[in-house]
Amino acid sequence: MKKITAYCRITDRQVILNGKEPDIAFSGEPGSSRLTEIYRYLDAGYPKFHKMDNLSKAGFLASEMVLRALDYDRETPDGSTSVVFANKSASLDDDKRFQATINPDNYYPSPSVFVYTLPNIVTGEVAIRNKIHGETSFFILEDFDAEKMHTFIEWAFSSPGINRVLCGWTEYLDNHCDVLVMMVEKESPKGMDYNILNINQLYLN
Amino acid sequence: MIYKLSDNIISSLGFTTAANYKAVLEGKSGIAPGKDAAGNPIAISRIEPEIVEESFRNTFKTKEKYTIPEQAMLLSAHIAMKEAGIQAGSERTCFVLSSTKGNIHLLGLPTHGFGQDRVHLWHTAGLLAGFFGNPNTPFTVSNACISGACAQIAAIQLLEQGRYDHVVVTGMDLAPDFIVSGFQSFKSLDEERCRPFDARRKGLNLGEAAATIVYGKEKKKGISLIRGSIRNDANHISGPSRTGEGLYRALQTAMDGIPAHDIAFISAHGTATPYNDQMEAIAFSRAGLQSSPVFSLKALFGHTLGAAGILESIIAVKALEQGLVLPSTGYEEPGIEGDITISTALSKTDKRYCLKTLSGFGGCNAVLLFENTL
Amino acid sequence: MEELILELKKQIIEALNLEDITPDDIDTNAPLFVEGLGLDSIDALELIVLMEKNYGIKLEDPGKSKEIFKSVATMAEYIEKNRTK
Repeated sequence: MKKITAYCRITDRQVILNGKEPDIAFSGEPGSSRLTEIYRYLDAGYPKFHKMDNLSKAGFLASEMVLRALDYDRETPDGSTSVVFANKSASLDDDKRFQATINPDNYYPSPSVFVYTLPNIVTGEVAIRNKIHGETSFFILEDFDAEKMHTFIEWAFSSPGINRVLCGWTEYLDNHCDVLVMMVEKESPKGMDYNILNINQLYLN
Repeated sequence: MIYKLSDNIISSLGFTTAANYKAVLEGKSGIAPGKDAAGNPIAISRIEPEIVEESFRNTFKTKEKYTIPEQAMLLSAHIAMKEAGIQAGSERTCFVLSSTKGNIHLLGLPTHGFGQDRVHLWHTAGLLAGFFGNPNTPFTVSNACISGACAQIAAIQLLEQGRYDHVVVTGMDLAPDFIVSGFQSFKSLDEERCRPFDARRKGLNLGEAAATIVYGKEKKKGISLIRGSIRNDANHISGPSRTGEGLYRALQTAMDGIPAHDIAFISAHGTATPYNDQMEAIAFSRAGLQSSPVFSLKALFGHTLGAAGILESIIAVKALEQGLVLPSTGYEEPGIEGDITISTALSKTDKRYCLKTLSGFGGCNAVLLFENTL
Repeated sequence: MEELILELKKQIIEALNLEDITPDDIDTNAPLFVEGLGLDSIDALELIVLMEKNYGIKLEDPGKSKEIFKSVATMAEYIEKNRTK
């Protein structure tokens, strides 16, 4: 029986890790600066964070909290974990930023912004940070759909040698953050049952 | 294992697979001189919008307005489904869209009049399924340049699970200023036609295409997609792993049980950037494929992004069916360190398997294993 | 030259999102790549944009860029000689 062994929910209202709210003091409005506040709270020591776009920052932070809660070994190359995320807006938040750098009147295309105009980059950032060599994939849905999420996650498990899937919904657009990242494990003595109902519960909470 | 019923390619080389494949055999390239938004010269394979519009008007009696990328996508799906003779509107049929940027050109056209949702890929996929009256929510893959392989792997899952009888996999990407400017900022474009694996390679050419494969689960002779695998380098978001780690792992999983000497050829990613081609060679060698002929199609079609995995698979399996190994266009002077066998001329093969490999931003790599059953 | 060096450091910090670094933290003569600030290939491309945007200098040859971007000092020297803005 597959289990959800840890999860992290980041919305505009709150941050929840495994059912509890970490004591992060937020100042100001939801948006990019709030992501930096979470980063500082985590004291992650990963300056590359500041180069990421908002979508990658949000997904990275939720993944970081999940993996820390599981005492994940990020130094050893791991071929048995995959990263599968989905969202509604793809990389539109960063796409708009890049579009602003190719304004005909002020045309200076930015490579560091362009590289994030693909939604799957967040899965790459998580893989790099944690030496994850399994599958990394990204899907687009019109809205959060626990059944469809369950389908993609099952696909990831059907690849040989994959025992764990770090998965979830990583939506970020115009200062609005809607993220749920979970670790689902093939074999685990603890955690909640991995099923569509529970995925939905974690999202709607 | 799933079975290919039909396919279609829309590119600057033609609007049918037959036209495109004929061009490939003639060594005809769709890459021509062009300019980027700043007026700098580039080499690019563009589809003429007027030809798309004319073909769309002649094919569909609709008064609705569609963007050029949407028209190309719909035409491609339509042609492939017609050839397969399947019911597009059936609830036993499912669509999978593969695209990196879809309608992104709309961001640069604030008065486009298509509505806010039109730039979204979920909308494009919904439009694809809805146009043909299909009742199922389509799947949308956006996994950088490997999307076309991911979409085909999704088709394997969807058909093997039993819920559907047919899956229509369509890939589409054009090359608007948004994309061209981005690649220019990476200094990764060659002003001239690209030279995959060649010592003088300087970068890639972009290409525009829509491509479709219709898959079914009923056993039949011809091309089958046995399995696919996706693995990450965990190295850098835009530069490939120097040890080809992700691609090597994907090759191991995809080839499982099939010896290298049974592989007729590898249709590589071969973008002609200095690092990609070298990385692929390292991965091939590590996987024991150093003697398997390798070719890249990028000097004929350009890099068609979300369509690449589907378009290049179609050409590869067409060659496999005909018992042919294609030459790698643009290759003259060996430019890869280590052992690799680049195919330099059209040749015959009686081997049954071929591999299609792709790599993308984000460190992802994909491998597809095809078989030709006679 | 001192003014240019300080200005350049501020611009580098902003362009490369070096959030936790101040101009005082950047050694003018230390290597920018591999050691020192440990910048990577995307940072190098972003510096090329910085040169054109802020100083009107177009760098077409990636090989030449390596020498220019060795340190803040080499960058400032090159800008002094070639700026059009």
